[in-house]
Amino acid sequence: MSAIISQFFVLSQRGDNIVFRDYRGDIPKGSAEIFFRKVKFWKQDGEEEAPPIFNVDGVNYFHVKVVGLLFVATTRANVSPSFVLELLQRIARVIKDYLGFLNEEALRKNFVLVYELLDEVVDFGYVQTTSTEVLKSYIFNEPIVVDAARLASLGPGGLFMQGHKRMPGTAVTKSVVANEPGSRRREEIFVDIIEKISMTFSSSGYILTSEIDGTIQMKSYLSGNPEVRLALNDEVSIGRGGRSVYDYGGSSGSGAVILDDCNFHESVHLDSFDVDRTLSLVPPDGEFPVMNYRMTQEFKAPFRINTLIEEAGSLRAEVILKVRAEFASSINANTIVIQMPLPTYTSRVSFEMEPGAVGQATDFKESNRRLEWSLKKIVGGSEHTLRAKLTFSQELHGNITKEAGPVSMTFIIPMYNASRLQVKYLQIAKMSKTYNPYRWVRYITQANSYVARI
Amino acid sequence: MSGHDSKYFSTTKKGEIPELKEELNSQYKDKRKDAVKKVIAAMTVGKDVSSLFTDVVNCMQTENLELKKLVYLYLINYAKSQPDLAILAVNTFVKDSQDPNPLIRALAVRTMGCIRVDKITEYLCDPLQRCLKDDDPYVRKTAAICVAKLYDINAELVEDRGFLEALKDLISDNNPMVVANAVAALSEIQESGNRSIFELTSNTLTKLLTALNECTEWGQVFILDSLSKYKAADPREAENIVERVTPRLQHANCAVVLSAVKMILQQMELITSTDVVRNLCKKMAPPLVTLLSAEPEIQYVALRNINLIVQKRPTILAHEIKVFFCKYNDPIYVKMEKLEIMIKLASDRNVDQVLLEFKEYATEVDVDFVRKAVRAIGRCAIKLERAAERCISVLLELIKIKVNYVVQEAIIVIKDIFRRYPNTYESIIATLCESLDTLDEPEAKASMIWIIGEYAERIDNADELLESFLETFPEEPAQVQLQLLTATVKLFLKKPTEGPQQMIQVVLNNATVETDNPDLRDRAYIYWRLLSTDPEAAKDVVLAEKPVISDDSNQLEPSLLDELLANIATLSSVYHKPPEAFITRVKTTQRTEEDEYPDGGETAYSESPSQGADSGTSPPTASSGQHSARQTVAVPGAAAAPAPVPDLLDLMGDGNNALVSVDQPTTPSGPPLPIVLAASAGQGLQISAQLVRRDGQIYYSMFLENNSAIALDGFMIQFNKNTFGLAAGGPLTVPQLQPGASANTLLPMVTFQNIAPGPPNTLLQVAVKNNQQPVWYFSDKISLAVFLSEDGKMERSTFLETWKSLPDSNEVLKDFPGIVINSIEATLDTLAASNMFFIAKRKNANQDVLYLSAKLPRGIPLLIELTAVVGVPGLKCALKTPSPEMAPLFFESLENLLKS
Repeated sequence: MSAIISQFFVLSQRGDNIVFRDYRGDIPKGSAEIFFRKVKFWKQDGEEEAPPIFNVDGVNYFHVKVVGLLFVATTRANVSPSFVLELLQRIARVIKDYLGFLNEEALRKNFVLVYELLDEVVDFGYVQTTSTEVLKSYIFNEPIVVDAARLASLGPGGLFMQGHKRMPGTAVTKSVVANEPGSRRREEIFVDIIEKISMTFSSSGYILTSEIDGTIQMKSYLSGNPEVRLALNDEVSIGRGGRSVYDYGGSSGSGAVILDDCNFHESVHLDSFDVDRTLSLVPPDGEFPVMNYRMTQEFKAPFRINTLIEEAGSLRAEVILKVRAEFASSINANTIVIQMPLPTYTSRVSFEMEPGAVGQATDFKESNRRLEWSLKKIVGGSEHTLRAKLTFSQELHGNITKEAGPVSMTFIIPMYNASRLQVKYLQIAKMSKTYNPYRWVRYITQANSYVARI
Repeated sequence: MSGHDSKYFSTTKKGEIPELKEELNSQYKDKRKDAVKKVIAAMTVGKDVSSLFTDVVNCMQTENLELKKLVYLYLINYAKSQPDLAILAVNTFVKDSQDPNPLIRALAVRTMGCIRVDKITEYLCDPLQRCLKDDDPYVRKTAAICVAKLYDINAELVEDRGFLEALKDLISDNNPMVVANAVAALSEIQESGNRSIFELTSNTLTKLLTALNECTEWGQVFILDSLSKYKAADPREAENIVERVTPRLQHANCAVVLSAVKMILQQMELITSTDVVRNLCKKMAPPLVTLLSAEPEIQYVALRNINLIVQKRPTILAHEIKVFFCKYNDPIYVKMEKLEIMIKLASDRNVDQVLLEFKEYATEVDVDFVRKAVRAIGRCAIKLERAAERCISVLLELIKIKVNYVVQEAIIVIKDIFRRYPNTYESIIATLCESLDTLDEPEAKASMIWIIGEYAERIDNADELLESFLETFPEEPAQVQLQLLTATVKLFLKKPTEGPQQMIQVVLNNATVETDNPDLRDRAYIYWRLLSTDPEAAKDVVLAEKPVISDDSNQLEPSLLDELLANIATLSSVYHKPPEAFITRVKTTQRTEEDEYPDGGETAYSESPSQGADSGTSPPTASSGQHSARQTVAVPGAAAAPAPVPDLLDLMGDGNNALVSVDQPTTPSGPPLPIVLAASAGQGLQISAQLVRRDGQIYYSMFLENNSAIALDGFMIQFNKNTFGLAAGGPLTVPQLQPGASANTLLPMVTFQNIAPGPPNTLLQVAVKNNQQPVWYFSDKISLAVFLSEDGKMERSTFLETWKSLPDSNEVLKDFPGIVINSIEATLDTLAASNMFFIAKRKNANQDVLYLSAKLPRGIPLLIELTAVVGVPGLKCALKTPSPEMAPLFFESLENLLKS
């Protein structure tokens, strides 16, 4: 039996049941409590994170974290684990499509709708569909929209409320079905090219590993579901032709964008992809990835990090952190945080920011001996420096670089993409003088694991 | 008070349930809908709203799909606890299943399949039959799943009605969603039924492969997984299958990708062409790597699977080691798995890069991860001979940082490296010895001690080093003690000088006399004997050359590996355990009791199933002889034909104090019980029964005789409301009764469970049912005597006080002209056996006046005065009690006791 789930439930971070649906009745009562206790106290100290799948008394528990909520499924069968985990993510997405925004309050307010969805998505433990488009014809409850004004106050972080590794969704938080009060539904379509980049620099500044995980995400509010054509730049090619990751270079000058691998949403037709790099599709309702891609081809690092540590006697040292933005001055990065673990016997840190620094903050997190430097904004081409004077409670053992670092960095760069993959145009089939919907194409690059060793 | 106010007022006064009830019966549609929503809301937070069943079901007949769906959701939840009322919904269900709207047809069948109540199931078959052949694919795909539901409730029904054939037909359906559900249902039935009803032929294979292309992503997984069991006839067929499946590797859904990988790996076993295999491996690599771009949860699954795949086919990802490098923000469970795969993929070509990574990880903050990284370096050294030296130098670097747990972990792996490459790297021992004092973990300590013992001849101060450990020998953990023992023996054999000689004395003494660990003691004795008989032989044994080790940690047995590989993309591949190790199949019907009986103030047996409310608390005083005396007393009158029962619905349908079923056999002895249901009235079933009291507990002693021509089983019993609230305190234990057979049983009773209002009476209405016959109703009589508790004896002074404190209106008199007291002694014995206790006696002329006390449940005292002349008919009884309404019942039982 490949794909049966027995129960689905959503728990808050405190362990409260927000949604609970039993599909097969073969799991004893109390599974939610058992699950929560197990996750909360995975190791005695509660420090270590529980793996997403575990078995307690013959019941298999699966969970994913979405916007701080735990989406859980249970089963007794030897199911396909990726199936269940993927399903949990999709259920979260479908619910988000319907409610416009996913959080505890929205779920609670819309529980009837949520249960209606759950009954159509899964029957007797078997998944039926997770397509928002298909579901629309079976769902009759109207969503109750949560107060959007309060969502705005979440700030740029709100963009990342989709869970810590998920691609950030489009910032649109309206439901696919709810009509805006008082106005006609606006015809618009969003295409976001979201790239998460991972880079590791050696202590001498060489790039050790680099990778881009990209998604072309679409969210359509077009009525009548017209066909859409999405053209990528011609230089895109797929497959490294059997070369290994070790073979860099040579390709960067040519302008070619070589993807290691990619996959497409099932609605995408690739008939003319080989000819003119065009994807045609009838976008279903709701948010969905048109294309996922992965690239290890060398690309330009958006930031260079330079770390200098100078020992000043046996109880003192000075750390100098330099960050240089290697992108055009018309582009700004935001919400930048730079972190660096310090030796465990660090007792005090005093910071010295560059003169005239605006929107910067520094902190020494004593609990985990971590230096934190946050910058609201970095303009392309600029360079920023931070000096930190460390005081130790005991003498250095020897090489301080062995006990400090590496420096890690998180950031968001809107309207920038590292891979140079581009959407050349977005064409809507039935477009005319009278019908010209809003088309939004946006690029965003964010750090996944951006690390400089020292 | 205005209407508005009164409504507001009623909210606070009436409570939630009555208010909802009112709203559910509102004449306004919207109000009804809102009310159902409120009910569902209450249901989901765990409140018991089952009492609204009828009201909610009344809302079912509606054209409004939204409301209908809500009602169905409610039904699924509560039908099980209200099986009789659930019937009310059947008509609407059947009607809905023929509605012109396909959504309603599908909804009806889907919901009926979820209600596990026999009576509903009976009515499901016809609609299901129709829906399996419906014009609308949505209805057909729902019906396909419904067959699996029905099979789980009643497998025979599915086979008898030919649903399996209908399901097989659906495999050829033109709608891929229907095909996928039919495949899923057939696979489940196949597995639970354990017989092959769904055989994969090359014909079905073709059909399924075609459906695969058009299916939803989830359907693709159903189909791929059921196909993975298919054994291709020859390499050509295998190649063909693989060709059809390969495009699935490009799917955005990770589950589809992994299921396709599984399928391809399986068929690859059959493919002989090395070119094809190599090509396939090449094709699988990028999608496998792409899985690592998904959410960390999926990455974890992918990594556990990749771990298995690279053990079998290391070439697939040999060039991709970089993608397994840990990101600083990976969750720890992902990091650990990545490390494991890095070790597996480490080769002479990439080991430098890998070591650099490991070294970096070894300075991170997470202790478990750091330890694992250090160990990984050691395992690389053991795996790759040419890299061993570089690994050792990295380990030495790490030791120099002097982070305690890094040092300890390094020493543990260095011990293994010494075992793997003897006489190669001993030069570093001196560096290791510097860290001796900081070792506090048993494994690290034991490793260090092993190194000292093994290389005692090369360590100048080996004896000093070992001696430093000896002081704390008794406190050390067993692991360290064992190593100390062996190391000291080695030292002595290598350097038989005075110092080691003394040490060995101390150790052997400690390890034999001072310990209660048998392993340690036995090993010590063996060494002792060896050393004292033949030191040369001891040398041969203890210092023998050791076999060289290899890195097989975390390597799976080939047979297990093959089994796990066959289970790629299932939980087995995540746990790395064969399915039978963790799969416990449970029939869906198995529900916990709580589920079926949502919170019952009404349940017949609530807190103390074996004890009557107040009665059983005192130690029993009656002896067994007295029991049998009491048993002889029959309750007259109530026997014979079943009396008509006034309120059948109340009797059977009183919520959850359901018919309790059968469990513990007991054999009551003694004389025949009065017949309560005659064979003539019970279609051959005769029941004799009586309430009895034993050791403070009330039982319903029953004797059942089967005079019918068929075997009877599944006996259950229920009591109607009665004055004392008597109800079954446990299941009725009656085995299957063959024709002519009989059985005795003692059913423990509880009191005050469902009390009938009104003046007290002795009527006890009972219903007994079995699987073969209709429900039998009969009446029995309650004897108050069974309620008199063992602690009813009063102190004389208390008796007087109580008597005086009660007003005269509480005194009831009764004459028993027919009763003769022949012996005071005998009478008192009889009464004592029924827990009426003698207090005092006085003579009034020729009359004897006896005073007795007794106690009813809830501590109600009965003060009894009996006046009679010995040998002369006529007994006068005066009863004084706070509950004079009990007097008639008391007199009745008294008469029964003394009449004989």
